[in-house]
Amino acid sequence: MHEISLVRSLLKQVERLCKQNDGTAVEQIEVEIGPLSGVEPLLVREAFEILSFGTGCAGSRFVIHEVPLKARCSDCQAEFELPSFVFVCSGCQSRAIQITSGNEFRLLNVTIQANQAANIPKPRGGGYETEHIA
Amino acid sequence: MTTTRKLTVNQDIQAQNKRRAAELRSAFSDRGTFVVNLVSSPGAGKTSLLEATAKYWGNRRRIAVLVGDLATDRDADRLRPYVPVEQLTTGGACHLELSLVERGLQRLPDEDYEFLFIENIGNLVCPASHDLAEHLRVVVLSTTEGDDKPGKYPKMFRTSQAMVISKCDLLPHVPFSVDAAITDASLIQRDLSTFPVCSTTGEGIAAWCGFLDDARQRMRNVAGRHQEHVGN
Repeated sequence: MHEISLVRSLLKQVERLCKQNDGTAVEQIEVEIGPLSGVEPLLVREAFEILSFGTGCAGSRFVIHEVPLKARCSDCQAEFELPSFVFVCSGCQSRAIQITSGNEFRLLNVTIQANQAANIPKPRGGGYETEHIA
Repeated sequence: MTTTRKLTVNQDIQAQNKRRAAELRSAFSDRGTFVVNLVSSPGAGKTSLLEATAKYWGNRRRIAVLVGDLATDRDADRLRPYVPVEQLTTGGACHLELSLVERGLQRLPDEDYEFLFIENIGNLVCPASHDLAEHLRVVVLSTTEGDDKPGKYPKMFRTSQAMVISKCDLLPHVPFSVDAAITDASLIQRDLSTFPVCSTTGEGIAAWCGFLDDARQRMRNVAGRHQEHVGN
């Protein structure tokens, strides 16, 4: 159940982002989980509910996008979806394939309530964009 | 006055950890230390493989081992007669993390090891998702577990570069086909180097140690070229 340690670091990251942007509350967190990420979406959700209790993320909407496992063949250049964990090109049967999507657990975006501020400081070395919703 | 704002991040949750692991791996390369992360089910023979490896090399290689265990330091005790060992007791965690490895490194007596082995927690699931700054991930599969394991644990075999098939002395007594295991694993990771061994008799250990020496040499060649490039 290593989902616990990964969700713990996710919550720390979200709380840091919220603080950096003068946030007062976290409304929504969107993540992306692939079949080869090594984490189970259901367990990630359970871990989130347990670990967010009593934090600034408690009560926020936690949206999980499950992405398919996709690959590109190095031999015939075909791009295709893998229906199972058999890493073989569906076109030419080559095993020289590169995974292009589906092996990550990513934080996509965070929606926060924030105090109106003229200048939003960006964290050092961190690249993210902000978008006013309301 | 509050406003609603969407912050786009689009980043791997382990990005920071992966960056740190890459930095540490590069530091190991520069020092000439080749790092091996040994993963397997509990009881597959990771400690026996390390005992056999240490016995085979004797004093000809400078080796250190970091051993991960939920409880007890039994594995560390077994290895202490041969090599410097540090125990990483996780207290229940199902995998090792980089921070534990870094703590263990600080307790090792020296820095100039040729090989650093990290014996991970016995578990074919969780350790697959954690980069411990290794140059090589080796999955140990014992003949008593069945030859269908690679397909059942795809991430672990996909993220490994070598597979040691252990307890080969039991092949006459167990329903395990080395060829079937290799075929199954190659559907997941075609570049998996495979080494059938028996740690108790030493069979196959010379080939395994030769592979480790070659892999370390390749790392040194790359690190050397990198240093030349930096020097220019």
